[in-house]
Amino acid sequence: MKDRRAMNTVLLITAIIIFLPVIVILVWTVTARWPWPGLLPESYTLRTLEELLFGSNQLTEILLSSIMLATLVAVIGTVIAMMTARATEIYRIRGRQAVGIAALLPLLVPGTVFAMGIQVSLIRMHLNDTIAGVVLVHLVAALPYCVTIMMDVTAAVGDSLEEQAAVLGAGPFRSFIDASLPGIMPGVLSSASMAYIISYSQYFTTLLAGGGRIKTLALVLVPYIQSGDRALASIYSTVFVGSALIVFFLLEAAIHRIMRKGR
Amino acid sequence: MKRRDKIVSALLLTPFMLVTALVLIAIVNIVIQSLGYMPVFDLYDVTLKYYAEVLKRPEVLQSLGVSLKVSFISSLAAAAAGTLICAALVRTGRTRGGMLYTVRLPILVPHTVVALFTVAMLSQTGLFARIAYAGGIIGDYTEFPGILYGTGYFGVIIAYIWKEAPFIAYFSLALMSGISGTLGEAAENLGASPFRSFMHITLPLSLPAIAKGFLIVLVFSFGGYELPLLLGATLPKAFPVYTYIEFLKPDFKLRPYAMAMNGMTLILSLLMALIYAVCMKRLMKKLGGGYEG
Repeated sequence: MKDRRAMNTVLLITAIIIFLPVIVILVWTVTARWPWPGLLPESYTLRTLEELLFGSNQLTEILLSSIMLATLVAVIGTVIAMMTARATEIYRIRGRQAVGIAALLPLLVPGTVFAMGIQVSLIRMHLNDTIAGVVLVHLVAALPYCVTIMMDVTAAVGDSLEEQAAVLGAGPFRSFIDASLPGIMPGVLSSASMAYIISYSQYFTTLLAGGGRIKTLALVLVPYIQSGDRALASIYSTVFVGSALIVFFLLEAAIHRIMRKGR
Repeated sequence: MKRRDKIVSALLLTPFMLVTALVLIAIVNIVIQSLGYMPVFDLYDVTLKYYAEVLKRPEVLQSLGVSLKVSFISSLAAAAAGTLICAALVRTGRTRGGMLYTVRLPILVPHTVVALFTVAMLSQTGLFARIAYAGGIIGDYTEFPGILYGTGYFGVIIAYIWKEAPFIAYFSLALMSGISGTLGEAAENLGASPFRSFMHITLPLSLPAIAKGFLIVLVFSFGGYELPLLLGATLPKAFPVYTYIEFLKPDFKLRPYAMAMNGMTLILSLLMALIYAVCMKRLMKKLGGGYEG
């Protein structure tokens, strides 16, 4: 199978290109000196790491506020998407397609344009420089993905089980929780995962809506990259991506468990 | 629909409508302010002069050119590379597991971190420059090409491709593996070579997903801020970076200029979507016609 071998080579090259920068940044986090033109650092240290964990640095605080913000967006975004999908796929309202198209609208308006456009309104609603304001603009960025995912999975699961539960005497809320929710749970978790990652990565929208007062990892990382402090920038990046990966894999593991149980 | 159902579904839709309304409000704000109507600052005349004046600035056109170039080149390359990666995943049967997680990794990496990756690899003291020195290709780091911070924006383009090619691969995977497993296999059973079956069956039928992914990354990179800020040249700046500088000017009478620039980004983004919609309609017709004929 010549073509299969070629395709395996493509994947190998892809994996190398993806992992190489990750490895280099991980090396940078423990580098003391890495002068030109060495291929490897001259000396290693745990100093930057120590300073970060035990020093006066606010990393822990910023990490926690980033996680909290992203979790809020993930939960609210997914609940909104669940409600929307229920209206379009179970109640089958007129204008279902219009909702689907409206959901994609934020993808056609660049984040920079949206953030600069909405700022006046956020100020008028006294939401500028507040967590609520930042959550709102992050929701706009996350909802296209949440709604698409939830509409797909809700349409696939339907409400037949729920109707049976209702016939057997369960109330509407109870029948939804017990009959439909388990079926759409994989969608709920992937929607939450997507929203979490999107909120976590936002830079410009957080900067404008938060006015610099709401600090996230994305925000504090930029000055380190600009100043060329590669060791510190690398540590922040590692914490940034590492914490996102942990949340992502926890949710992935949960999805797999549910899928296996369902079979 | 029963009356009760109508009320319930309206309630269910309300939060979605409210969030979507924010996008429309932002658009309306941009349109109104870019036309010079800002009562708070005693600007009442509705005029197109801000657009006209902005368009006359040479640096605006240069910035627009840079952003269009970066977004088109990076998105086209990402679509091509993404399709290849997707085809490789399907062909080797690695549509789940470790390799798929590897491909999904760049989707999880924020743009700010992608910028740091790019600096660590491609700057004049980055890993590639060191490898080039070790291999005797260059004698000093000044001889390594200035990929970053140059007017060619190559660093930004490469960074976008690293991030968006996997996105397109992942975005197209469900459709492509579905088609390849059914119609593509059927073609091979009828004697078509894997390459021929891919080019004539799987690829054309996967185009809707690839094109949609292309549009998403095109609009995103056209309006993207972090990568050109961190990896781009001082002049000309990418259009969103330039727009934000204009937006930050403390004299509020200048605000309509920034908003006119946002309006231009908006118009161009919607134009991209429109062209996409027209092309998709044609493609669907062609594919649909192919089935019948």
